[in-house]
Amino acid sequence: MALEITGSALLGASRRRLFEHFPWPVAALAVAISALGVWNLASASRSAHAPVWLPQLAWMGVGVFLALAVAMVDYRAFLRMAYVFYALVILLLLVVLVKGRVVMGARRWLTFGPVNFQPAELAKIAVMLAVARWFHRDAERESERPRRGYGLLGVAVPSLLTLLPAALILKQPDLGTALIVVAIGFTIILFAGVRWRTVALAAGAAALAAVLALPHLKPYQRRRLESFLNPEGDVLGAGYHATQSMIAVGSGQGFGKGWGQGTQTLLSFLPEQHTDFIFSVWAEERGFLGCFFLLGLYYALVGTVLGIAGTARDRFGFLLGAGVAGMLFWHTFVNMGMVVGLLPVVGVTLPLLSYGGSSLMATFLALGLAANVSMRRFVN
Amino acid sequence: MPLLPTSSPAGGPREGKARVAVATAVVSVAFLVLLGRLYQLQILRGGEFKGRADENFVKELRVPADRGLVLDRNRRVLVDSRPSYDVTLTPYFCGRQCEEVVARLGTMLSLSRDEEIRVRDTLKRARGLERFRPFTVKVDLGRDELDVLEANRMELSGAVEVMPNPHRSYRHGTWASHLLGYMNEIGADELERENQRIDESSGDELPYQLGDYIGRRGLERRFEAELRGVDGKQRVVVDARGNALRGSELIPERQRLQPSRPGKNLVLSLDWRLQEFAEKTFPGVAGAVLAMDPKTGFLLALVDRPATDPNKLSGRITKAELVEIASDPLQPELFRAIQQHYHPGSTFKVVTAVAALEEGVFKNGGTIWCPGYFSMGGRYRWRCDKDSGHGTVDLEHALGASCDVFFYTLGAHLGADKIAHWGGLLGLGRPTGFDTSDREIPGVMPDKAWHDAHIAGGYQHGMAVNLAIGQGDVNVTPLQQLVLYTALASGTVWRPQVVLRLEDARGEVVKAFAPEERGRLPLKPETRAAVMQGLLAAVNQPFGTGWWSRLKDVVMAGKTGTAQVVKMGARRLKASQVSYFERDHAWFAAFAPADDPQIVVVVLNEHSGFGASNAAPTASAVVKKWLEILKQDEAERAGAGRPPEAPPAAPPPPAPGPARPEKPSREGARAAAGEGRGHGA
Repeated sequence: MALEITGSALLGASRRRLFEHFPWPVAALAVAISALGVWNLASASRSAHAPVWLPQLAWMGVGVFLALAVAMVDYRAFLRMAYVFYALVILLLLVVLVKGRVVMGARRWLTFGPVNFQPAELAKIAVMLAVARWFHRDAERESERPRRGYGLLGVAVPSLLTLLPAALILKQPDLGTALIVVAIGFTIILFAGVRWRTVALAAGAAALAAVLALPHLKPYQRRRLESFLNPEGDVLGAGYHATQSMIAVGSGQGFGKGWGQGTQTLLSFLPEQHTDFIFSVWAEERGFLGCFFLLGLYYALVGTVLGIAGTARDRFGFLLGAGVAGMLFWHTFVNMGMVVGLLPVVGVTLPLLSYGGSSLMATFLALGLAANVSMRRFVN
Repeated sequence: MPLLPTSSPAGGPREGKARVAVATAVVSVAFLVLLGRLYQLQILRGGEFKGRADENFVKELRVPADRGLVLDRNRRVLVDSRPSYDVTLTPYFCGRQCEEVVARLGTMLSLSRDEEIRVRDTLKRARGLERFRPFTVKVDLGRDELDVLEANRMELSGAVEVMPNPHRSYRHGTWASHLLGYMNEIGADELERENQRIDESSGDELPYQLGDYIGRRGLERRFEAELRGVDGKQRVVVDARGNALRGSELIPERQRLQPSRPGKNLVLSLDWRLQEFAEKTFPGVAGAVLAMDPKTGFLLALVDRPATDPNKLSGRITKAELVEIASDPLQPELFRAIQQHYHPGSTFKVVTAVAALEEGVFKNGGTIWCPGYFSMGGRYRWRCDKDSGHGTVDLEHALGASCDVFFYTLGAHLGADKIAHWGGLLGLGRPTGFDTSDREIPGVMPDKAWHDAHIAGGYQHGMAVNLAIGQGDVNVTPLQQLVLYTALASGTVWRPQVVLRLEDARGEVVKAFAPEERGRLPLKPETRAAVMQGLLAAVNQPFGTGWWSRLKDVVMAGKTGTAQVVKMGARRLKASQVSYFERDHAWFAAFAPADDPQIVVVVLNEHSGFGASNAAPTASAVVKKWLEILKQDEAERAGAGRPPEAPPAAPPPPAPGPARPEKPSREGARAAAGEGRGHGA
């Protein structure tokens, strides 16, 4: 098994094969969503008094390059690197807790010269690689794999691999990203196969944990939760985001107000309009029709990546694909659910639409991994 | 059972496909849920949310309507509006920073403690939608304050706005100010009452809002609904912080501005040339000068003193100033022409004369002997104003020289009922029907029944003797006097009016007020002739009390009066020997020209002494002035086309007037205000 890029792999027949299996639909969907994202951001930035779509465009360029680079390296190289990368990210998460830059009361950013980034975004990738790596071990030793799925013991280590970075991220605090990290890890675990009983037990434990954690929520988190349960209760206070977001979405009606015409956007009634609430800008200006279209694109993207997972040549590739699909899905669902008032307000970005370099980089890295798996499904 | 099928050895296609299928199903359901929610928000409830989005950014600014003007009969502006810069605060737009903003405003506008507390209270009370409504922090900023505010605009949030609001301007200060009234902020209870009334009415009047000004007293109050106009609305776009944005393309053009409709203008019957002359001529500290057109009952001038400047009352007045006004013993808040009654004194003798002639108690041509006193049954004596007596007097002489004994005699023969009957026909004892918002008092025209009801011991015949010369319990308002003398001059008891018509802003008549007769005086011609002869004698005979105020070219009829305020002592005292509030009131009532009266004037000069010397000169000057004005207008009309010349202002005679009195006690003022009883023997 060639685990590294060899001279021959980059040449001749194998190289053509790589190219043949490049996931063009994924690339097309990602570029389409990104383009709509920049266009949408240009409207949102009219009120931000800063053309934030310009740096976003630059980040996208970097992201596409990064994704292609990741796609080039055979993913089995990442198999070996998985735990090292994981350890490095854990270290960064510890560093950020001590030396991170504080923005709006949270310690999330690390600064390297001119570059600011959030290690939490890398944690998503690290968890993906590490958990997939853990289950891949069993692919090599088939006899050790339980026939009817993993029991509690079997999922203990990958669960810990998931929860450790999640806990560190929660400490920053960044509830949204922590939840996404947990969701990615558990998605992969489920894809690896878990017994029903174990799932039920884990769900029960999670519910219990939630109840026990409730009194320990930060006041702002509790307010958000309360305002989610009763958004009209405090329209001008904690429920403000949720209410204004729903007004923005609803007022888009069937066909939207048109580009740059969204009053909620233009007049700054929407908070975080170019980051977490970017979808409400889209919904307000493009209406139900535009939302239907955009949801279709995301659905196709998640579905295509799931398809890549289904055709992966090995267990690592399968679980990696599932992880990427899970990441895209949970981000999209939680973000949109929050914007339309189905879920409480948590800081989760919408992949490729929200403004922000770290989030974009993580998304493109993940897409690069998916492409990588796709390109090598039949390669030796 | 495993949730997902366990994989084949290498994680082959079969295992993957199945789990991917399940995952795809889960993802599909999730996206359908999102889509369903979007459908609910955007399609099913889209209209509702669209409305709420529009509400978010559309701020309605009030475009205050121009309040109607008040004009004199020649359309000279008496009351109009000037811009006043008012600072408002919209609680919603400063949110949690409101406290801080108020503190800054407090410093910039040097708000007093009271004012700042009021602002904070209003802030605290604002709930729900009220938080979107701007309320007034301070009215009528000075230029300095305006500069400070504009210079520090950036430090204040978008919640603070400076609005140029029309503010009432009373061009002539205290002149006729009781009649014109004033304005100030509407109270909370009043707001509720007024708005309920507006709700129930079908007109296009808009409800009041806190901070609105409303007419208080006088015509401002009486014609509040007409003067007010209908406010317009300007809809502007604001962002989430309440800053108004320049462009308003977001609002359909037709909805951007709903113009205001100005209020109706009030055209008064007053002639400001006459008013001005009367104001300058009248020497009194307190009192009234009233002039009426005897052909219509419309007022030509209305001087009422003392008065407070309505500009002050309508604007930034301090508590201390209000207290000062309220505790002034001269009671400047009193609209004396209709709210204060006085003994008519000798001016009442015409009523006695009319009653005596009509009731047949006295035949014209008869005489009465005046020894300087009158006695009834030998037990009581009434003193004549001339101690030495007038000798033999007829009616002409009695009215002209104002002989008390003559009328004591008539009164004793008539009794109170007959005098009261004729007084009533002349309009006494009931309100004149003058139409302003201020309550008009009815005065007292006592008959027997009245005395029985009000006086301990009931009616005594001697009371009619006092009554006959306008003392005792008869009390009249200056306006009643005017109506009475106009009735003598014209034969008609008019309802006195001052508003000629309501006009819209373009000057078109909306409503015109016609003269209103309340009755005709049923006098025999010989009665009228006899009384007129007496009134003419009073001015035009050397023995007449008004001889010194006669006019050269015009025959004026009139009657002096000196109303006693306190019981006369054994010795007569000069005015300078008694304190201000114990001095007599001076009356003079006159009309001219006698054969075809053009004007009736009543002058009341409180606590100034004799009518002949302290009221008559003003009355005759006003009459003369009016006849000049009429002549001048006539000439102008005749020479139409020629540019009208500025009327030569007649120099007002010097007005020495009594010095403003030392402030006596409030009780003294009240006693002086009309509670002094007539004089017994």
